[in-house]
Amino acid sequence: MKFTITREKLHEGLGAVAASIPSKTTLPVLSNILVEATKDGLRLSGTDLDIAVSTIIPAQVDQEGATTLPARKLSEIVRELPSAAIRVTGSGEQRVQIECGRSKFKLLGLSRDEFPAFPAVKFDGAWRVQAKELQKLIAHVAFAASTEESRPILNGVLWELRPDRMRMVATNGHRLARMDVPVKGTGGQADLIVPPKALEQIRKLFGPDEEIEIARSDNHLGFRSAGTQIFTRLIEGPYPNCDQVIPRENDKIMTTDKAAFTAALRRMSIVASDQTHRIRLAFANGACKLSVTTPDLGEAQEEMTVAYEGDPLEIGFNAAYLIEILKYAPTDEVRMSFKGPERAMTCEPVGWDDPASYLTLVMPLRLLD
Amino acid sequence: MATVPRILLADCDAMFVAVARMEDPEGAGRSPLLVVGGSATSRGVVCSASYEVRAFGVRSGMAIATAARLCPDAMFVPVPRQSCGQKGRELAETLALWAPVVEAASIDEFYLDLTGTEMVYRGESLADTSLRIRQAAHRATGLTVSIGGGTNRLVAKLAAERAKPRPGTDGTGVLVVPPGEEGEFLATHRLADIPGVGPRLQATLGRYGLEWVNDALRVEQRDFEAWLGPRTGSWLHERIRGRAGSSVEPDAEPKSMSREETFARDIPDAETIEAELLRLTTRLGAELRANRLAARCVTIKLRDVDFKTRQASRTVAEPIDTDRAIYSVGRELYRSLRSRRNVPARLIGIGLSRFEPLLSAAQLSFLADAGPAAALETPRDRAVSKAVDRINQRFGQDAVQPARVTGRPSRRQP
Repeated sequence: MKFTITREKLHEGLGAVAASIPSKTTLPVLSNILVEATKDGLRLSGTDLDIAVSTIIPAQVDQEGATTLPARKLSEIVRELPSAAIRVTGSGEQRVQIECGRSKFKLLGLSRDEFPAFPAVKFDGAWRVQAKELQKLIAHVAFAASTEESRPILNGVLWELRPDRMRMVATNGHRLARMDVPVKGTGGQADLIVPPKALEQIRKLFGPDEEIEIARSDNHLGFRSAGTQIFTRLIEGPYPNCDQVIPRENDKIMTTDKAAFTAALRRMSIVASDQTHRIRLAFANGACKLSVTTPDLGEAQEEMTVAYEGDPLEIGFNAAYLIEILKYAPTDEVRMSFKGPERAMTCEPVGWDDPASYLTLVMPLRLLD
Repeated sequence: MATVPRILLADCDAMFVAVARMEDPEGAGRSPLLVVGGSATSRGVVCSASYEVRAFGVRSGMAIATAARLCPDAMFVPVPRQSCGQKGRELAETLALWAPVVEAASIDEFYLDLTGTEMVYRGESLADTSLRIRQAAHRATGLTVSIGGGTNRLVAKLAAERAKPRPGTDGTGVLVVPPGEEGEFLATHRLADIPGVGPRLQATLGRYGLEWVNDALRVEQRDFEAWLGPRTGSWLHERIRGRAGSSVEPDAEPKSMSREETFARDIPDAETIEAELLRLTTRLGAELRANRLAARCVTIKLRDVDFKTRQASRTVAEPIDTDRAIYSVGRELYRSLRSRRNVPARLIGIGLSRFEPLLSAAQLSFLADAGPAAALETPRDRAVSKAVDRINQRFGQDAVQPARVTGRPSRRQP
């Protein structure tokens, strides 16, 4: 194996694969990156057995070959090298020499035969999706997936792929995000539950204008473009029917400036309980009164002018959930709808000039007094 | 000048035996050979035994059948749980009159922190104060307590043990180790007497010829660390010199709650065991809600016919506090244990842990509306539990029970 590559390209390639390398593992080869010098360039691959990422970067390959090298050490070396050509030469199957300017390293790796094979996903008849459409869904929905281990199905994002549209839904039972994007001819129909970590890689590693091919095997999903492949394990099981929890009878509507409302919520949060982040909102006569009372700590109040239609309402929320959904709202103005103090609130963008439709939902905190 | 910690441990002498005697002065009250735990033919374990029975080798935790063999003339009575709980509370109230901080270590053991109270007690010695506390506790509850004192919890605990007025010992009920004499006091103990030195550690120490604290004092810390690992090594090095923590925490929140039942005979069928599990769950759920807590972890304990004890736990996403939710998790755990080894059971138990105050459990979840498979607990469950609690508070513990449990008396031996 012998190749020459620019420091920038190698750094970029290692960065792309890094997120799939587990920080702790009982299988030593998983801490390594599979480095393959091929006639098409340099292919770098990493996996934690749940997600596998492989990317190809331009390199001058003088002699084909492959080995695995410790990912962290290799990244640290490349990070510290000057911006110049790097020459990598294999000596034996598990040893490479790295030269750049006047620096020289010898690094020990493990045989490529020890590196696990990637999931066998066949791309014949794959679905095709524009990366930017998929990335828009991921960027607005994946945050809402649960991080609790007790209900594994909610640790995934539900991705409904249809011939003419795509939808993603994620929730932890307290708050939910859902987005629909109309698309042209994906060529497929599937309901998939995908780990958010894999979706994050898809968001980062594909260029927005790339077309991504997507295919599945029994329990894996594969994504590929010209240079990059990502494979992920799918989460199995029935996803809760979230359609039926989206309220249709919410008759109290508040429209407000996202930034102003977020700022008020942040101020109230300072005095809210660290455990519950409980705040109280009272809507009436074009005003929203925010207040918080935390025993042993103190209290705070603030009033802001909002557009509000409907009967007066007092409702409690976890302020952190509200701040979070506002952060992902794509417009400066949002519309929130309510029914009662123990019913779901929905939040939608106002004046969004995008064919996608986006909705978030937050369940209240019960006000005990 | 730094304040010298003044820590006491008040330990009730054979509390279960004493309370059983108070409850039945004509029967248990007249029997010097008394075992509390269940009838002589029951399959439970000894909860407590009178000093006279202990002379026969009977110990707490021993199977009742073994105790009956060792001391066939003893009288065996069930555990007077309610009265013991009541007496424990009375004792805690009395002790709280004497010390600013009282921590219940168990139903019959209380740590008292009297640090900084020298002026309150007008310079009285800690031993004299302890003696007065002991008399006050007896007057208020009829129970005899032994009190050990010192500058930390370890010394207080060992001193209380030595203070007990057992037949054949010179215990007077109070023993206070003066500050500075902790090491000397510890040196007269076996290593096994130190709480935390269990059978495995004893066996390891035994291999190095160490049985007494006095012998162990000659061992360098680095040797202990090499033999026992750095943590245990340095821990033991400190303990045998009488150095330990002195913090007494008032009214610590419970970390777990559990209920278990030993069957009168081995139960082969799952239906009966599940009905018993439901009965235990309703008791445990009521206790949980009475403490205004919700739990996130459910544990099932199953003891098989051959005494093999198995456990399974599950942590759920949302804290739960209703009987139906707790039971549904518990039953699933029981079934998974049983599917792995399907043999008759001697004992079933259910425990709850990872508590959160009910207040923080008030975050509403919409999964309750997405079908029962999605949510463990629904608003209906909460309404049912609340109503049942109110009725049972008014008309007695079992006034309302699940239909499956009613008419199925406890399998505990009379």
